[in-house]
Amino acid sequence: MPTRSKENHFVLLLTVGLAGWLIPGGGHFILKERARAIIIFAVIVVTFAMGLYIGSIGVVNPVAGKLAYTAQIMNSPAVAVIGHITKQGEYSVFGKPNEIGQIYTSITGLLNLLCIVNAVYLAHLKETEHARA
Amino acid sequence: MSLIVTLILADFTTPERIGVTPSSMLWLLPLALSVAVVYKATKVREVRTVNFIKESVVLFASIVVFMFITAAALLGIAWLVT
Repeated sequence: MPTRSKENHFVLLLTVGLAGWLIPGGGHFILKERARAIIIFAVIVVTFAMGLYIGSIGVVNPVAGKLAYTAQIMNSPAVAVIGHITKQGEYSVFGKPNEIGQIYTSITGLLNLLCIVNAVYLAHLKETEHARA
Repeated sequence: MSLIVTLILADFTTPERIGVTPSSMLWLLPLALSVAVVYKATKVREVRTVNFIKESVVLFASIVVFMFITAAALLGIAWLVT
C-alpha cells in the first residue's frame, strides 16, 4: 500500500472513530450503515437518559466518581459538559438511585466504546476490500 | 412551552426514590435489553427487522436467565454459609 493511501486509510479510521464518539452511531452513519447507526443512537441515548433520570445528573461526577466517569465519557464529549456542571457537588446523590444511575450511564459508555471499535473495524475491512478490488 | 422544558429538566436534577428492595432488581431488565440490542446491532451481518428482533430477544432472554441462575447459586451459597 503506498504511503499516501496509508495516510488516507488512517484518516478515515480516525474520522470514523471520532464521529462515533461525538454522536453515538456516527461512525456507522459515515460508513452508510444507517440502520445500525439509528439503532445504536436511539438505544444509547435513551439508556443514558434513563440513567440520568433515575439518579439525576449528579451520577456524572468527575471528582467523586472518577472510575464511573471514565466509562461515562465514552458516551460523548457532551458528558464533560454535565461533569463540569456537577463537579462542585451541588447535585449529590446517594444510595440505590446513585448506584443504578451510575451503572446505566457507565454501561452505555462502554457499549458506545464497543460500537466505536466495531465502526473502525468495519471501516478498515471496507478499505482493505476496496484496495484489493 | 418553556414551563414544560423546565419541568422536564428538573426531573433530571432530582433522583428517583428507589428503595433497597427485591423489586429494585427489576431495573436490570431495561439495561439488559439495551445491551442485547446494541450488541446485536454490531454483530448481525445485515439488519433485517424480524431477524434482528429475534436475535436480540434471544440474547436478552439468555442474559436474564443466566443472571437468574447466578443469583440463585449465590443465594444457595449464602444460605449454606450462614
